[in-house]
Amino acid sequence: MKMEEMPLSSPDNTKLEALMHDIYSELVEDACLGLCFEVHRAVKQGYFFLGEPDQESMKEFEIVDQPGVDIFGQVFNQWKNKECECPNCNRLIAASRFAPHLEKCLGMGRNSSRIASRRLARNNMSKSESDQEDNDDLNDNDWSYGAEKKGEPNQNSPRRSKSLKPKNGEKVLVKRSKYNHNTGISYESLGPEEVRSLLTMVLCPSRSQRCPQHTDEQRRAVRVFLLGPPALHSAELESHSFDIPDGQMSRLQWVESPNVSPSDSASSKASTNHPDSRRPKKKKTLSLNSGGGSGGLTEGSGSSAQSSLSLSSRKKKPKLSAAFISSIYDDLN
Amino acid sequence: MSPAGCPHVNGFKVDNWKQNLRLIYQCFVWSGSAETRKRKAKSCICHMCGTHLNRLHSCLYCVFFACFAKKHIHEHAKSKRHNLAIDLLYGGIYCFMCQDYIYDKEMEQIAKEEQRKAWKMQVLDFDFDSCVGIGEKYSTWEPTKKELELLRHNPKRRRITSNCTIGLRGLINLGNTCFMNCIVQALTHTPLLRDFFLSDRHKCEMQSNSCLVCEMSQLFQEFYSGHRSPHVPFRLLHLVWTHARHLAGYEQQDAHEFLIAALDVLHRHCKDDNGKKANNPNHCNCIIDQIFTGGLQSDVTCQVCHGVSTTIDPFWDISLDLPGSSTPFWPLSPGGEVSVLNGESHSTGATTLMDCLRRFTRPEHLGSSAKIKCSGCHSYQESTKQLTMKKLPIVACFHLKRFEHSAKLRRKITTYVSFPLELDMTPFMASSKESRMNGQYQQTVDPFNNDNKYSLFAVVNHQGTLESGHYTTFIRQHKDQWFKCDDAIITKASIKDVLDSEGYLLFYHKQFLEYE
Repeated sequence: MKMEEMPLSSPDNTKLEALMHDIYSELVEDACLGLCFEVHRAVKQGYFFLGEPDQESMKEFEIVDQPGVDIFGQVFNQWKNKECECPNCNRLIAASRFAPHLEKCLGMGRNSSRIASRRLARNNMSKSESDQEDNDDLNDNDWSYGAEKKGEPNQNSPRRSKSLKPKNGEKVLVKRSKYNHNTGISYESLGPEEVRSLLTMVLCPSRSQRCPQHTDEQRRAVRVFLLGPPALHSAELESHSFDIPDGQMSRLQWVESPNVSPSDSASSKASTNHPDSRRPKKKKTLSLNSGGGSGGLTEGSGSSAQSSLSLSSRKKKPKLSAAFISSIYDDLN
Repeated sequence: MSPAGCPHVNGFKVDNWKQNLRLIYQCFVWSGSAETRKRKAKSCICHMCGTHLNRLHSCLYCVFFACFAKKHIHEHAKSKRHNLAIDLLYGGIYCFMCQDYIYDKEMEQIAKEEQRKAWKMQVLDFDFDSCVGIGEKYSTWEPTKKELELLRHNPKRRRITSNCTIGLRGLINLGNTCFMNCIVQALTHTPLLRDFFLSDRHKCEMQSNSCLVCEMSQLFQEFYSGHRSPHVPFRLLHLVWTHARHLAGYEQQDAHEFLIAALDVLHRHCKDDNGKKANNPNHCNCIIDQIFTGGLQSDVTCQVCHGVSTTIDPFWDISLDLPGSSTPFWPLSPGGEVSVLNGESHSTGATTLMDCLRRFTRPEHLGSSAKIKCSGCHSYQESTKQLTMKKLPIVACFHLKRFEHSAKLRRKITTYVSFPLELDMTPFMASSKESRMNGQYQQTVDPFNNDNKYSLFAVVNHQGTLESGHYTTFIRQHKDQWFKCDDAIITKASIKDVLDSEGYLLFYHKQFLEYE
């Protein structure tokens, strides 16, 4: 029977109310008793007063509310010397300068991307310049080399030729360069341009692609010497557009290799004398190359690095090769 | 023997005393099953006066119940020399020789075990299917003997009272990072988030040490360490920039953007705290979602057939347009609505937060150029769209759109918007809208419905222009104390300071938290 349904003026009602009151007061009393037991136990076990704060600590952590000081009672702006360790480069940086440092350190933000894109742009022109490039815009000396700090008279090519040439006992640091002597690079993984620049370095220690001492032909000669015919073929075919029937291509390769190594005078002469002797000579040359050609090659190549080579222009190349083979024949015979 | 025990129990601890004691606890003290409850109710009466009440005790040596209040149990003890009795309500053991309740280690162990058993049984006895299964009765922490010793030897206590600086700490500006500092202050003073981290609830699943939630946890430790010098949040900055690349860069950022990015990264890193895989964004149960995620209902009503298409999207904040922006603010709605909640009137002239919310939830007529395909009419029709709150988050963040980046101009809108200390979100709920549509125009305030009542606890302000400015935060501690956090400087503030400030990000916390 619900409470709400009971009529208010019934004699049972007072009994019910009394009962309700009894139950209610019992519940309250039981709850109070429970609390008493808790406190009693805590006191008897000895941990009742343990959590009470001590006066000293209360005073220490009190809030201060006065002008000129913060809630800890400290004067404003006394925290100039805070430092922190950069998680990226582990250097100790002043706290108020941490954000700009981190931006450059991680290579993000607009400044860094500007530097990076400029670096990439110059990388195509000259590799030596690129190494020094990002030092220009950085305030902090993140990447400082001993070479960089020397005074440079030449403004057009700053810090270029002098500092990068290895001198006695001086190390040249190359930052983020693929062309590290210590790492083994497989030539297959490099593109033709990269191969070109890589081998240029071998020829000339100045590591410049525009070194005035050597010509393109000389560089090409070294390339072929080191890489052999296939690489040369692919590099050369890209630049010329002469028609070679497919079947002839392999033979042409064979033919072309001895072409590079010989002395210049002989080849240039040969080209002018025998412009059309290409096709008939091929069969001969193929057999020759499989046998003694390699021997001739080695001999020829031994001298190539030291002597200054000059080859005729690329357009004449096919004819040149054929003609030249005949001259080798002549020499050998 | 501990000081809480007594030597007189030794007389009791003979033969099969443990089993006897267990039996007493099971039958007469902690009644687990309905059967034992009945038995207790029937048989436990004072053998001398017949009462059920008055602190009934049972003799430990024989089967005798008597009340304490009328000293009937004392008489029994004296006459029979049975000097131990047990209180049938709480299981405490009384020694008549010591004339006090005593606490014997072995006997207490038995009592605890029996209580746990009875509690578990009680839960199983419930017959409603949605019983959570409490399982374990909550017991307060009690120090062990070793701990007691340590605590006695070290009397210094760091206790958080209302006049205490613990929990407050300045943050060093790392170079235009006030946008980060202000959000960190707001988050560290979000009560639920604080409780989550201080109770060490985050269990890190990440292999590397680049978890932002761990860093957040560390941040709370720093704030509650009692240190007075400002904290240098360099690790936090590094982690945020690593995980939210679009924010990286040494330039001035928007605090609101940072808040959303930070919540996003925290949410992503938080996934497995409840032991559930949360790949589905709708079912994530991480602390961030529990606190910050609400549901926004969008109703598109076709003007022709009046069919309504409803979608509910999750949200972490509400961005509100302001008067003075290029988007039209007044009039609020086709009909115009009046609300008497929050004691407002438009005679003052100042725009209020309620105005902004009313505008946000007004039915908007989508023009003829934006016809929606109606599934009822099977053709493109003009429609009205209305946003309402389907589910309110525990912490509601309101973003006042003060930075205008329209095609024509870029400026900061400095219009003063007054916001209340207490906010009732009832008129903006989806359920309220339904009752409005059913004809109940005026919302009667239900004093017992506390679901939608919110209290302000943090305000982020921006001073300055669009290009360069400075962020500060007002935060609330200990119910009614407010503090201003200006990077490394924390000072006390008045409620008036807070309510008079311009306001950019407003953080409200639900007043009453219900079980789900």
